[in-house]
Amino acid sequence: MKKVVLSEQAFIAGYVKMPKGFEIDLDKLSIDISQSTNSELPFSRTWDMLNTYVIEHTNLEHQIRLVNKNCWGDIYKPNQQTSPLLNIDPVDLKNSPDYTLLYGIKTDNCFLRIYYDDNRRAGRSWDIQLTDNMFIIFPSTNMYYIKNEQKENSNVVLTITYDYL
Amino acid sequence: MAHFAKIGMVGKVIQVLTLNDSDMLNADNIQDESVGQQYLERHNNWPAQMWVQTSYNTKGGKYYNADGTEHSDQSKAFRGNYAAVGFEWDADNDMFLPKKPYSSWVKDITNASWKSPIGNSPDLTAGQQSQNDADTHKWVYDWNEDDQTWDLVDKTNIDPLA
Repeated sequence: MKKVVLSEQAFIAGYVKMPKGFEIDLDKLSIDISQSTNSELPFSRTWDMLNTYVIEHTNLEHQIRLVNKNCWGDIYKPNQQTSPLLNIDPVDLKNSPDYTLLYGIKTDNCFLRIYYDDNRRAGRSWDIQLTDNMFIIFPSTNMYYIKNEQKENSNVVLTITYDYL
Repeated sequence: MAHFAKIGMVGKVIQVLTLNDSDMLNADNIQDESVGQQYLERHNNWPAQMWVQTSYNTKGGKYYNADGTEHSDQSKAFRGNYAAVGFEWDADNDMFLPKKPYSSWVKDITNASWKSPIGNSPDLTAGQQSQNDADTHKWVYDWNEDDQTWDLVDKTNIDPLA
């Protein structure tokens, strides 16, 4: 008996493990996000290091070749829960991204819920806590929301969307 | 043009980049790997010592001409293989190795590759080879990791679900 996988909903999560002395400067990213006046995040050396790490390691470990689409940062206030988020445009799939990456920059009890369908079992969800220097990649067709589950600190999360080749 | 492999945290090649020869010249105008490493660290934000030069013309421990023939001077062979994403960097033996095909296989340093614990596959018999040449059969030896043996297989009519 043989199983053929034609398509998959893969959620990839991990930490950005950079060489000593080349760690991702989370403070720099946080400042860039807080100071960005429009939705786009300015290019920086730190951002490039993170983005390069993600692209190279998803190719190495999962043979997924990512190409950048968009990037922005969000700050979530204490106790804030987003409305359901979806990074594709259902009426413009051609110009929508394939994958969404979320990266924890300043996190404190930051939780992510991703919705998915398991054949006829629609609307299932997968929960994971997003911590500092941790990333999660999932298909952009999956709806999700982010919740800041404490009342002291804001959470800063970077989003990068990708196409794949 | 020189080529450098970017080595990841677990010793695997994560990227291969080309570098202009002029970007790796030292004060004496001689190509120097360490100069290239410093250049790549500055421009690619990855430590110099984790960039390792690799030879485009070296494969399986041998150096080849552009037309694919073996070069007469094999002292030019450099670091086993031209690095590719997923290759292993073996610093102790100063060579790049392709991905290990089976967990039981061991390093073959001479040929910069991997070999089965019982050596290479047996040669096909003259009869099997003549059948292959006549296209009536496709005899090959496949490694059987479970039994640690070389199994003779005819791939003439391959089962699509095999």
